[in-house]
Amino acid sequence: MPDNWSFVFAAYGLAALVLGGYWRRLARRERELATRERGSGGARRAPARRGESGSADPATMTRPS
Amino acid sequence: MKRLQRALGWLAVAGLAAGLVMAFGVAPREATQGNVQRIMYLHVPAILVAYLAFGVVLVASVSYLWGRAAGADRLAHASAEVGVVFTSINIATGAIWGKPTWGAWWTWDARLTSVSIMFVIYLAYLLLRAMIEDRERAARFAAVLGIIAALDIPLVHFSVYWWRTLHQPPTLLRPGSTPMDAMLVAALTINLIAFTLLSAYFVAKRVRLLKREQEVLA
Amino acid sequence: MSYARRTWIVLWKDLLSERRSKEALNALFFFALLLLFLFQFALGDERERLTAALPGLLWLGFILSGLVGLGRAFLAEREHDCWEGLLLAPGDKSAIYLGKVAGNLLLMLLVEAILLVLFAVFFNIDLAAHPLRLTVVIGLGTIGFAAVGTLFAAMTAHVRARELLFPVLLLPVQVPVLLGAVKATEAVLLGEPLGAVGHWLGLLAAADAIYLTTGVLTFDAILEA
Repeated sequence: MPDNWSFVFAAYGLAALVLGGYWRRLARRERELATRERGSGGARRAPARRGESGSADPATMTRPS
Repeated sequence: MKRLQRALGWLAVAGLAAGLVMAFGVAPREATQGNVQRIMYLHVPAILVAYLAFGVVLVASVSYLWGRAAGADRLAHASAEVGVVFTSINIATGAIWGKPTWGAWWTWDARLTSVSIMFVIYLAYLLLRAMIEDRERAARFAAVLGIIAALDIPLVHFSVYWWRTLHQPPTLLRPGSTPMDAMLVAALTINLIAFTLLSAYFVAKRVRLLKREQEVLA
Repeated sequence: MSYARRTWIVLWKDLLSERRSKEALNALFFFALLLLFLFQFALGDERERLTAALPGLLWLGFILSGLVGLGRAFLAEREHDCWEGLLLAPGDKSAIYLGKVAGNLLLMLLVEAILLVLFAVFFNIDLAAHPLRLTVVIGLGTIGFAAVGTLFAAMTAHVRARELLFPVLLLPVQVPVLLGAVKATEAVLLGEPLGAVGHWLGLLAAADAIYLTTGVLTFDAILEA
């Protein structure tokens, strides 16, 4: 029976692409999160209490009307 | 959690390396199919890991409805995602294996069909989560769907299997069912362990990511 | 108020409002008629092809009508601001679930009966040969559809793209029910006894039991504020 190595490599290559792609997606989101956390003044590194807006992020501060 | 994740990651890399060595170096060339059979070292572990992941979704979903722990919800979400990834690998490698073996990329073979349905069901699970904005409500609804989906899987498998095989002459060339070479089994096992470690790493990483995302958005 | 009574009240309310407005029933009747034309045009003139595909076409018709009907299952509550009323209802909310399932089941069975008659008339097919067997099969299949459909309808009631999400959630999960129902219907129309498809009927019954039980146990979680 012919060996069809091209199919074998295609399968392994595809699996590598999918798994690698998923890993890269997770890594990228982690990096984005890290930048956001740093941008919020690092105050959010500690477990944040819900509803507390203690960060110095100018984007979330409301202007006095 | 981060150290566990790192450890799992490195173990997974080691496992995958070992798996590749086994798949290409140690395992013999299969008698009836030839070297195409080596795709099985990807195809089979992928689906087993997916089943494990969806089982975790079931347990985490029930746990969430019971105790409403956010951790259970994150575990369900992450497991479903990882399960979908590995299911897609199973389907794709199955098709790539099928082309030289059966002559066609796709056949409505019982296993291919039922796995594809399972794939679509859990894709819909992820879609449901994405489309509900309120996090607590999304968690509740996803938990209900996670339970129904998991309970549905055996029904899907039985129904599709009966649909394809009963009162229907076998139309596909089935690979001969010779007793498996011990090295073959070993290669399968090593690769299964490697994939399990990899999926555990992915789930751990995804859960941590979800937790941080939720904290940032709080 | 007893559980059974609450279930009955939900069912009675839905039936009453439907009888007064006849909104859903009229629309579904015309929908069924349109489906008939669609099937005829799609499959062309060959009688053998149509007859062979009949069980599948029948259930396609049932499912498409079911999707339209079930998609509206909680419409009244949504549109007339009665959702809070549902949420605040005292006691076990699963009674509401069973009442809704019963109502949807009856509506679907009615539409299916209409479709059956239309099929018999327009496709010149004798569907009256084994009415009891046909009833059993169609009943088992429809229960499964209504059980999960009601649950998912409640889930998607407030989602933005509910018309898209509802069928996407429901259809893949319903594959076992569809397969079992089509195969069993096929056997019945060929005159076979129900015993010949016992395994399919068993699968349908098991599916119905699983879906209903899960629905009863989890509906509370869906209706939380």
